[in-house]
Amino acid sequence: MSVSLFEMIVFPGFIFLGVMGMLFEYLDRIVYARLQNRKGPPWFQPFADFIKMGSKEDIIPREADSGMFVLSPLLAVTAVVVSAFYIPMWGGKALFSFFGDAVVVIYLLTIPTVAYFFAGWYSTSLYSTVGAVRTLTQLFAYEVPLFLVILAPGILANTWSLSGMAEFYSQNPLLCVTNVVGFMVAIVALQGKLERTPFDIPEAKTEIVGGTFTEYSGRLLAFLKLTHSVKTVVVAALVSAVFLPFGVEIGGVLGFAIFIVKIAVIVCILSAFKAALARIRIEQMVDFCWRYVAPAAIFQLLISMVLGALTGCGV
Amino acid sequence: MGIVNKLVTWSRVKSPWILHFNTGACNACDIEVVASITPRYDVERFGLLLKGTPRHADVLVCSGPLTRQIESRLVRIYEQMAHPKFVVAVGTCACSGGVFNGCYNIKGGIDSAIPVSAYIPGCPVRPEAIIDGVVKLLGSLQNPTEAPATPIVINPPEESEELHG
Repeated sequence: MSVSLFEMIVFPGFIFLGVMGMLFEYLDRIVYARLQNRKGPPWFQPFADFIKMGSKEDIIPREADSGMFVLSPLLAVTAVVVSAFYIPMWGGKALFSFFGDAVVVIYLLTIPTVAYFFAGWYSTSLYSTVGAVRTLTQLFAYEVPLFLVILAPGILANTWSLSGMAEFYSQNPLLCVTNVVGFMVAIVALQGKLERTPFDIPEAKTEIVGGTFTEYSGRLLAFLKLTHSVKTVVVAALVSAVFLPFGVEIGGVLGFAIFIVKIAVIVCILSAFKAALARIRIEQMVDFCWRYVAPAAIFQLLISMVLGALTGCGV
Repeated sequence: MGIVNKLVTWSRVKSPWILHFNTGACNACDIEVVASITPRYDVERFGLLLKGTPRHADVLVCSGPLTRQIESRLVRIYEQMAHPKFVVAVGTCACSGGVFNGCYNIKGGIDSAIPVSAYIPGCPVRPEAIIDGVVKLLGSLQNPTEAPATPIVINPPEESEELHG
């Protein structure tokens, strides 16, 4: 492994992703505000929130399991940052890449969700327990469609490596059109994964106070919020690498600019959904995901398999 | 004041998260608090967000006179908040007990149970006054030695005609 500590911690590792996450959180909030005909927060808002939370008192409830309570946010932020190393962002290749890293990335991105569950469960507060159970229930609804549509383009590209997929589709840009259904399914599943409206059921503040994070304060809460921001960027990068791999082979400043634009487009789509839709109940969400989203994902899989057989470029 | 302290104070001023708690109000002030966080007034431009849990909040916004029944709950909510924390009393009743002062079931203003940082009088308080009060509270964090600001009239009668007309 030729990856230095600098790359892991500063660029394109933890600090870079953190700053990116906060800037895209600002974009999300300002787009949401503009859609509501508001002025919106200033650009430094996510940074001010982070510093403020970091300088506040840490409270660990007496009833909570203090080990898991502290460990869960750190586990979540670590898993998210590590998964970013396998996603090709610009310049063609990811930091690490091997055959089958798409599966690894999807599993790594499941870890924060499970860490959220642990965070809520070991807080032992009533509200956070309800939030934790909802987090896990929701996971079973959106995870299968997301798995199917992230892996479907791999059938055509004959690789389950994200860098390989991005390379294949940037060489055959026309084949991207066949993944439109998958892209739409991915956008829906992302809203579940990022716990955004209409799928913000685990942290529904009008029903269950703060949901999973009810008992968190201070630095631990700051880490949970940071995880959330970084996860937005990483998941958007994953979707853009699989479904919008245009210009991924371009390196340098231009490649970086293209990458930023792609992430911004996905974040804006998510913000528009957040502004347009209201929260639904958990059983409606599960019902919707299994009745409509999962069949659409299987349909995308069929398209990829048939095309693969016809063109002979698949397995 | 070191650079770190300055940064921390700046972040506190720029990111006040509030928790709204009704200590026995008639709902008029509550409606006004809710109105002040609508897109019409857009308090998010000051970084102000409404939070559901006392663990996340920095500013406890209390409305209403302190009833004897709610007193222990208010103290408990206050103790659940993480330091540093501030309390804002919204409305005449929250400031002093208002017309209910001396009632058999009323303890008085919010400050008879927990320390209060800012008092915003009014019956009910206008959203502009609430925002002004919170902004003044945060301004006093940055300049703690400055003399308290002279009271200003938030809403002269002729302006209110214009607003409602």
